[in-house]
Order: sequence, then C-alpha cells, then structure tokens
Amino acid sequence: MAKQKKLLTYHQRQNRQGYRFMLPWIVGFVIFTAIPFVATIYLSFTEVRQTVLGFKITFIGLDNYIMAFFENVEFVPAMLSFLGMIIPYTFVILILSFILAYLLNKITFLKGFLRTIYFLPVIIMSGPVMYQLIDSSSEASRIDTYLKFSDIFIVQMVASYSRKFALLLIGIFDQLSIILWFTGIPIILFINGLQKINPNLYEAAQIDSANSWQILWKITIPIIKPLALVVTIFTIVNLGTFSINPVYGLIKTATENTSGGLGIAATYSWIYSFVVLILIGITFLIFHNKEKGRRQDS
Amino acid sequence: MMKIKLTKIARAKKFHTFLKLCIYFVLICISYVYLEPILRMISMTLMSTKDVIDPSVDWLPKNPSLSNLKVAGTVLDLKKTLVNSIWFSALLACAQTIVSALTGFALSRYNFKFKKLWIIMIILAFIIPVPLLMIPRLMLFISAQNLLGFNLIGTPIPQILMALLGQGVNSTILILIFYNFFNLIPYSLDEAAMIDGASPWQVFVQIGMKLSASTVLVVFLFSFVWNWNETYITGTLVRNSIELLPAKLNMFDSAFKTYAAAGRGNAEFRINEAYKMSATLLSITPLLILYGFVQKRFIQGIENTGITGE
Repeated sequence: MAKQKKLLTYHQRQNRQGYRFMLPWIVGFVIFTAIPFVATIYLSFTEVRQTVLGFKITFIGLDNYIMAFFENVEFVPAMLSFLGMIIPYTFVILILSFILAYLLNKITFLKGFLRTIYFLPVIIMSGPVMYQLIDSSSEASRIDTYLKFSDIFIVQMVASYSRKFALLLIGIFDQLSIILWFTGIPIILFINGLQKINPNLYEAAQIDSANSWQILWKITIPIIKPLALVVTIFTIVNLGTFSINPVYGLIKTATENTSGGLGIAATYSWIYSFVVLILIGITFLIFHNKEKGRRQDS
Repeated sequence: MMKIKLTKIARAKKFHTFLKLCIYFVLICISYVYLEPILRMISMTLMSTKDVIDPSVDWLPKNPSLSNLKVAGTVLDLKKTLVNSIWFSALLACAQTIVSALTGFALSRYNFKFKKLWIIMIILAFIIPVPLLMIPRLMLFISAQNLLGFNLIGTPIPQILMALLGQGVNSTILILIFYNFFNLIPYSLDEAAMIDGASPWQVFVQIGMKLSASTVLVVFLFSFVWNWNETYITGTLVRNSIELLPAKLNMFDSAFKTYAAAGRGNAEFRINEAYKMSATLLSITPLLILYGFVQKRFIQGIENTGITGE
C-alpha cells in the first residue's frame, strides 16, 4: 500500500485529497438532498394520499403538470408575478448593496456605528420583525401608489414613454424599504471583498492620474465582479424562499393539503426549481464571460 | 502662481469635505429604514396599556413602565427557552462552520474530477425549496427511527446530522464564503508548506484555518443567527420536545391566553401590541447583544488579515 501511494500521479493525488475534504458534504447531499429530490421528481407524477397506515402513492402520469399549466388558474400567474418581481428586485438589490458597501467603505468617522446599523438586517431578516414589516407595508393601499407618485415630473415623463416601465419604477420605489432589508448580507459580502483589495493598486492608479470615478470602474468593479455572482445567486434564492414569493405560498399550502396535495406540491416545486435554475444559469453566464475577459487582459 | 495653486487645492479640499458630508447624509438617512422597526419596538415595549390605545401617543409613552417586559418574559418562559436556543443554535453553527470550511477548502485548493458538477450541486442544494425536501426527509428519519429502535424525531440529532453533513440552513452560502476567502490566499503558501512536508490536513489547519479566523467568525455568526431564526425545519423535526425561543414566540398568542387565564382574571389583562412587541424585542435581544459584541472583532479581523492575492 505504501508503495502504491508514492506512485500516485499529481492529478490522482489532487483527486483523492479533494474528495477526502468533500466527503462529508457529498454524503449529506446524497442522503438529505439528492434522494429526497429524486423522490420529489417521482412524486410529481403521482397522487399522494396520506392515510393512517402511511403514504399511498398512485402513478397518474402527466396529470399534475397538465393541471399546473392548464387547469389551475393560480399557478401560471403566480409564476409570472414571481418572475416580474425577482428580476427587478435582484437588479436593484445588487446595485444598491454595492453602492452602500462602497460608501460604507469610504468613510472613517462613525464607521463602526453605521456598519452596526447596516448589518442589522442580517440578524433580523429572517426573524419575526420582518413579518411585521411586510405586514404593515402591505396594508398601505396599493391602488394609491400610482396616484401618489404620478405627480412627480420624472415619473410622468417615463409614463408617457411606456406606462408599464413607469409602474415598475413606482413599484420599486414603493417597495424600497423592503428591498433595503434584503441588502444585509450582500453589503457584508461586498465590504468583505472591498477590504481585500490591495491599496497599492489605488495608489498606482492615482499616480497615473486616474480620478476616483475611473478607479471605481477600472479597479474596484472588475475585482469585485466574482463576488457579485455570489451576491446575485444569494439574492435570487433568498427572495425565492421568502414569504413575499407567491409560488412559495402555493407550494406550502399544497404541501399542507394531506389529501392528494403532496403530488401537486412536488410538481409545483419541480417547475419552480427549474425556472430558478435557468435564472441562475443566466447570471452565471453573464459573470463568467466577463471574468474570462479580465483574465485574458492581465 | 503660488496663490492660484493654493486656491485650487483649497477648492479641491472643500469639494472633498462636501462629498464626504453627502456620503454621511445618504448613509444616515438610509440607516433610519433599518432602525425604525427596532425603535418602534422599544417604544411600544415601554408603553402601558393606556398609552397603546391613546392616539396622541406616537413615540414617547406618557407613563413608561417595564411591566410589559416582565409579562412577556414569563409567558415566553425566558430562562429555559433562552438557554435551549443558545446551545441548540451554537451546536448547529459549529457543525455548519466545520463542514463548510472543509468543503470550501476542497473546492478552492484541489482539482478533482467532476468539480464543476459538484459546484452546481452545491448551488442546487441551495435553490431547492425546503418544504418539499422536508417530506422525504421526515419519512427517512421516521423509518431510520423504526430501524434503530430509539427516538430521532423530537431530539436534536436529525438536525445536527444534517448540519454536520452540510445540509443545514443556507449551508451553500457558508461554503461559498469560505471558497471565496480561500481563493484569496495565495497558493504559494500551500506549496511552501507542502515542500516542508505538511500533509493536506496540516495545510488546511495551519494555513487555511489560521488565516481565516475572521471568516470563521463571520460564518459562525451567520449560521448561529440563521439557526436561531429557523422555525420550519425545527418545528418538523424537533417539535415541542425542546422549547426554543422563536418557536415559543410564534405561539405567543395562545401561550398568553393560558397565562392570563391561570394568572389574573381581570378584564384589563388582555393581549395587545405592546406585549407582542416586547416579546419580539426579547427574542431578538440576545442576537443583538451577540452581534454588538462580535461585530467589532469581526471588522478588526478583516482589517488585520491583510492578505490580498498576488
């Protein structure tokens, strides 16, 4: 055995050691995520009834999918409104959290105090406070929002160009306080990344007479880009698992329905996971290409 | 000539301070969004029953008292639930930190087969909706329980097992934090250690973990908070056999009713927003304290670890 170990090639050793470190996660993934998930795929083609003796599973083919897309009036609109929410939200959260992290990184006076406040959402985000926050804001009548903002000149200008876009803009401003609550972890990630940037780079750029705007675009943003991918994925999933996501609510109610609901819940969440996967795949492609370009440059 | 230059510099300086003031203005304005609910909670906590009904009282209560906190504390059974919540979350957080460090290290340092596939799987593990996975998981634990002959449901074992094997709350993001951090440590350090005869495990402990003390702190804090606030998985697997603070808070209304019925029977003693708010405040106070304590070290840690790629 000892002889064999010495004869391993570099790649074989890398392979073996890598898997040794990965092992706990892989075992857990297979048992607690992969198998349940595959079971879910199977369940999505069945009707599950919870009886006294256990679960009674009958295979019904594509019926659940047909029901989700054509018969159920709730699912498709919920999915569309989920997409309509998540894309602008993610975009706004990404940009806002970067700007806030950048600003928080610039200041020196009151630094600790302000950071303490800005990291608060990390602690409160998933807790009970958040539910109260969303409750109180949803009470405010939605119909009024357009009227409330329609006096503003810029909104009128955008509305004359495209009313839909204006509504989207108003929606974002209306929900800004909730959106801000989702920036906690993105800000932390960005600040973490910003502080790792070598100050020598900034100095070198300054000596070459770059102004701070140029430094931001040529140094800070390219370095921070890989982190932006993490932030985007996190935001998409985090928004998805939150109670403001209409699809999640549908899945939850279907899961609680013990007489035949589990199969439909499985179908819903399978479609939902597929859509989210596509979204994440798109962001991955966007950030990946740019990263490659940067590597070729340097 | 000299004069012109000086005024230019002075102007630039003025502009600079103006810019700084703008930054402060923006940051302080936005910070109000985060502070408002907490301030609101504190003000509600201090209100007496009269103040809650009184429409003229907005922020400052007319007769402040701490009795709300006392009532909420007894209803929540604070002493017991607090201790339970702390050790439960800390245990899960430890397990999650260890496994995510290992996984992050493997992804950052080694080129093994199907690595890309595993990265995709790690992300996949994050985006699959949890309620769906919970049903097969629950079935799994129940059948394991029947096989082994002792109770798993109702004990923290299933959740610890899941956390230890990297399937806890938001494990993926913890792994990615470690992965990102380890990527910033130059590989030449590893090479130097390996030339000196260090085993992979030693490289992990001596280089990976020792340099990432601040990251470990961040990950632990995240994991602790997420496990603390998590009620869905805990509610399915642990149920009521261990009383945890957030779970108790979810049932605050019914718990309050039984308390009021058993205690004082007068009509005034009814549930109101002030009691709920003080209970909520009590449930997040431990997190706020922990956070205030760790936050300083956490920022210092980041600044001291001055390693930036090559």
